[in-house]
Amino acid sequence: MTVRVMVVDDHPIWREGVARDLAEREVDVVATAPDGAAAVRIAKAVRPDVVLMDLQLPELSGAQATERIRTALPDTRVLVLSASTEHGDVIEAVRAGASGYLVKSAGMDELVDAITRTAAGQAVFSPGLAGLVLGEYRRRETEAPDAPQLTPRETEVLRLVAKGLTARAIAARLTLSHRTVENHVQNSLRKLQLTNRVELTRYAIERGLDADG
Amino acid sequence: MTSADVSPRARAHPQLVPLWRGLVVYRVVTLVAALVNAARFAGEWARPALGVAVVAVMVAWTAVSSVRYLRRGDAGTAVADLVITALATASTLLVDTPDRVAQGGSVITTVWSAGPVLAMAIALGWRGGLLGAVVTVGVLFGVRRALDGDLLFDAQLLLIAGLAVGLAADTMRRSVEQLRAAAAREAATAERERLARDIHDGVLQVLALVRRRGDELARTSTPHDTAPGLELARLAGEQEVALRRLITSAPPTPGPDGTVDLSSRLAGVLPAHASLAVPAAPVLLPATVVDELAAVVREGAGNAAAHAGADAGLWVLVEDDPAAVTVSLRDDGVGIPDGRLDEAVAEGHLGVAGSMRGRVDALGGTITLQTGPGEGTEWEIVVPRSSARSGRKP
Repeated sequence: MTVRVMVVDDHPIWREGVARDLAEREVDVVATAPDGAAAVRIAKAVRPDVVLMDLQLPELSGAQATERIRTALPDTRVLVLSASTEHGDVIEAVRAGASGYLVKSAGMDELVDAITRTAAGQAVFSPGLAGLVLGEYRRRETEAPDAPQLTPRETEVLRLVAKGLTARAIAARLTLSHRTVENHVQNSLRKLQLTNRVELTRYAIERGLDADG
Repeated sequence: MTSADVSPRARAHPQLVPLWRGLVVYRVVTLVAALVNAARFAGEWARPALGVAVVAVMVAWTAVSSVRYLRRGDAGTAVADLVITALATASTLLVDTPDRVAQGGSVITTVWSAGPVLAMAIALGWRGGLLGAVVTVGVLFGVRRALDGDLLFDAQLLLIAGLAVGLAADTMRRSVEQLRAAAAREAATAERERLARDIHDGVLQVLALVRRRGDELARTSTPHDTAPGLELARLAGEQEVALRRLITSAPPTPGPDGTVDLSSRLAGVLPAHASLAVPAAPVLLPATVVDELAAVVREGAGNAAAHAGADAGLWVLVEDDPAAVTVSLRDDGVGIPDGRLDEAVAEGHLGVAGSMRGRVDALGGTITLQTGPGEGTEWEIVVPRSSARSGRKP
């Protein structure tokens, strides 16, 4: 099954370059967009599986566009691909519903792998993103004690991701299954995205059911 | 009198203009009071002609000094004002009859005589105001020759006015200097942001593209390892990371309370291929602590580069807790055999162990090493925030 991808970036050279390279690797690039507002509009029309999203965009920021796309199309996943080191922007995009972050200097193999994993519903975690997410939870501990926090195990896993260990290496070190490691990483992202009481309750119920099963 | 110099250099403190304007208004109003006083009592003066001449000089000097205060606001005019006004006040002894002076009649300059006290205060700060008040009170005492209640009351008012206006002028001068410094800092930051934006929009995009294109070249050619594209891709990628760090790292100047962001400092210390994971918010620590931690990380990174092997990766994680700051440094190289570090210490090579441990101990922190053959090395440095704040041993 080919993954249907939309590339959002305001730099034409980059946008077309990535689209062409992805097409050569049999990734189906169904659309491109030069700004945030166009990205939301076009995404609603073509319903891609994965949106490759730059952060510093005209019209709507990458984080704002991510939020609108995720609200309108819950099945469409957003992978942030940015040269931005504006740490706040990255965390904002993750809170808005992005399921991963890759810097633009990542290689093509890495990018295609990340797109495949994003389409499969996995979180794409770089060490840098793990550091940001850890920092965001630490900030919450003091500023929003009611918001869901990381479990000790999730913290342990995120720290190892931030120190550059692969999911496989983490699984070996903590004697967990590869799949459990992936779940911990994904949960740490999901909890950041819970913003209202309804979502929190739904999450708590799901977790409760998981624990029972 | 020469005409006032209106070149920009002439006015050193434009922010004092409102004070000078206030002084000129005061001077003109009190001149009217002095004129009324002269018109009322000229008939009783001993030397009316001299009195009229003195009043004429007061009118002329008020005009000249006002123009100079408004255009230039210089200390020279204020001092000249003090001397001329003192002489005019002293002339009361010649103009008026000794009887009237002894009975406490007003001096010929009346409240106009307080003008130079304010002028001195504006031009020279509280010291100028104090000097002006002392001179003016001295002249008044010389004329009246009696320490009566009126004189003491005048003295109080003049002292208070001179000191208060002087302190106000000092404050205004200082605050404008601070404002100017803040504006300069802001301009520098704006310029830095503009540069960062330009670089982000242009050079970084192209470098990232070269990196990916190079990868593609390498992927499609054989043999893979020696493909020319691979070297190109690696160099472009490293330069992209280095440049991105350069434009996002904060300027090395300490914050207002002497703290520095550890994250941006470490970004400058690490080689381009290293991964640096940090919280989004700056990790603020005293500059001395940041210097020491940067030195520890530099040594650890240098050690990794020297011993871990050419292909080893390097990862640094910074965590900021209310109680402590934790820096983890990991490479996936060949690792250090058990006991090798202790051997080095025993042999007298302080090297890594001595220097890294020594620095962290001095910060009141702890440093632990996890390693083994083939396992890479993993340092974890924890510096408590309480001792980090003072930057001394607990």
